[in-house]
Amino acid sequence: MSIHIQNLSKSYDGKHQVLKNVSLDIPDGELVALLGPSGGGKTTLLRSIAGLEVPDSGQILFRGVDATRQRPQDRGVGFVFQHYALFRHLTVFENIAFGLRVKPRAQRLPEAEIRASVQELLQLIQLDWISGRYPDELSGGQRQRVALARALAPKPAFLLLDEPFGALDTKVRKELRRWLRQLHEELKMTSIFVTHDQEEALELADRVVVMMDGNVAQTGTPDEVYDRPSSPEVYQFLGDVNLFRGRVASGSFLHQPHSPDGDTTATAFVRPHDLEVDRFPSTDNSVPALVLHAYAVGPKVRVELRHRDSGQMIEAELTRDRHRNLGLAAGDPVWVTPKSLHVFQDGQEVAI
Amino acid sequence: MSGGTKRIQNDPWWLRAGAMAFTLLFLGFAVLLPLVSVFVQAFAKGLGGWWAAVSDPDTVSAIRMTLVAALGAVPLNTAFGIAAAWLVTKHRFPGRHLLVSLIDLPFSVSPVIAGLVFVLLFGAQGTFGPWLQAHDIHIIFAWPAMILATAFVTFPFVARELIPVMEEMGTQPEEAAVMLGAGGWTVFRKVTLPGIRWGLLYGVILCNARAMGEFGAVSVVSGHIRGETNTLPLHAEILYNEYDFTGAFAVASLLTLLAGATVVIKLWLERRIAR
Repeated sequence: MSIHIQNLSKSYDGKHQVLKNVSLDIPDGELVALLGPSGGGKTTLLRSIAGLEVPDSGQILFRGVDATRQRPQDRGVGFVFQHYALFRHLTVFENIAFGLRVKPRAQRLPEAEIRASVQELLQLIQLDWISGRYPDELSGGQRQRVALARALAPKPAFLLLDEPFGALDTKVRKELRRWLRQLHEELKMTSIFVTHDQEEALELADRVVVMMDGNVAQTGTPDEVYDRPSSPEVYQFLGDVNLFRGRVASGSFLHQPHSPDGDTTATAFVRPHDLEVDRFPSTDNSVPALVLHAYAVGPKVRVELRHRDSGQMIEAELTRDRHRNLGLAAGDPVWVTPKSLHVFQDGQEVAI
Repeated sequence: MSGGTKRIQNDPWWLRAGAMAFTLLFLGFAVLLPLVSVFVQAFAKGLGGWWAAVSDPDTVSAIRMTLVAALGAVPLNTAFGIAAAWLVTKHRFPGRHLLVSLIDLPFSVSPVIAGLVFVLLFGAQGTFGPWLQAHDIHIIFAWPAMILATAFVTFPFVARELIPVMEEMGTQPEEAAVMLGAGGWTVFRKVTLPGIRWGLLYGVILCNARAMGEFGAVSVVSGHIRGETNTLPLHAEILYNEYDFTGAFAVASLLTLLAGATVVIKLWLERRIAR
């Protein structure tokens, strides 16, 4: 294991626990996403690994060596901040060279080697043509690339990125994401990035760690986490989802929107693209609904519906062809049928 | 676009003209006229008269005392200002708001009172008076009190300039430097200080101008010993009271030149900071 985190706890005010006994293993060479809603503790965990926060209890091991009480300077960790945190009084070149120049005299490279390795990094981030500019003269995407090169310059053992694309617009964010994935393929450096954007985590990471309310809610590959969320909370956080209340009887889910409390002990989660929309009920679990509104999002059509009995909102996603064939219009009565559903009872998934 | 801002051109012409006339009239009356009269009076007996007044041994001594007070107080307040601003902006601790309010204290205390406090502390009848006398240490009516009084009156200037600058800078550049392996002193020297340099210089210039022009506090603690504890403002007053108008205004013209230099440096710095 590259990074081993054991029973880490942290509170800023002594009352509210930001990290609650978190344990986590980060394998060598992986790109790991810490994903979760804001306030879930992911940034605090990242800053604790960096040494910028001191945990109240617990241990952090780097390749088996206890780093919990190590100074951040001595941890050999590269850190990229959401708002870049570039040195405004230094040029792009000197920003990247900073980590090499502040080394103790005995470990410092000769000037020529410093210049050579900065030049190499400038080529890596494809910005060697603006090495003489100041941070204020760069675009957001360029700044973040400089911040990344600066973090890589002292050759850290791990790379930590705090919401690295959070301050960028969608197009730049996509480009930079792809570029970071490529870079990771080349360098194979153990990297952890924090994000609240599930799409970003699922697209970019080898492994996703979902953090909620100071705990690790789930760890797994993007597919595992998306297809088999371990709890209703994770399910709701990871993408759009429809909820159906009901109960489990003899191994199958009965949808019961109107049952008195206590009877509806189970909740079924269905992704919009796992809902079939028909003019007629196709199974016992088909739900009567009214079409409210339909709109195209790229190759898909999103249909907003209302349950005819309970008034609950339902969202379905159809292909354009399917939508055209159905010829749906607002106010049409239809039947909605889940193609696959995940049922949770008392926080535990129930096999259906 | 928000509708909150109104273009100046939309205001009626008589309002603009009125405001302009009032501003110019007031500036001319309250600033320009006295300024011109200082130089007219200072050179009333020609360049020779001015030079005679300025090179008078007592005036030279007053210049020296002014420099001593400023050279003592300004570095003290620079160090204090950096430390206080750094503490207040980069750390959260109990009593933080109290510290911020205390920094502003000299703005609300009359300088004369500030001077009196030092007399009550270090004067012959003061708290530490007997002990100081027994050890033959002179604070009141000597240069140490001049520096203390000047420092007290001017200590908000550097801190006040730096607090917003450091607040805007935040802690992230410093954290970034730490993550790149820089130790505490290196972070301060290579990241914090360059980040605040223009704001710092601005504060130092203002602090210096105020230190050299201070009258009330130093007047109380100086004892007005001619040729020894007089500063330029105090000396100008003495000469004026002795009906030596040319001398008084010649000394005043020196202070005015200092003010002019301060304004020019301030303008230049403001342009640098705005970039």
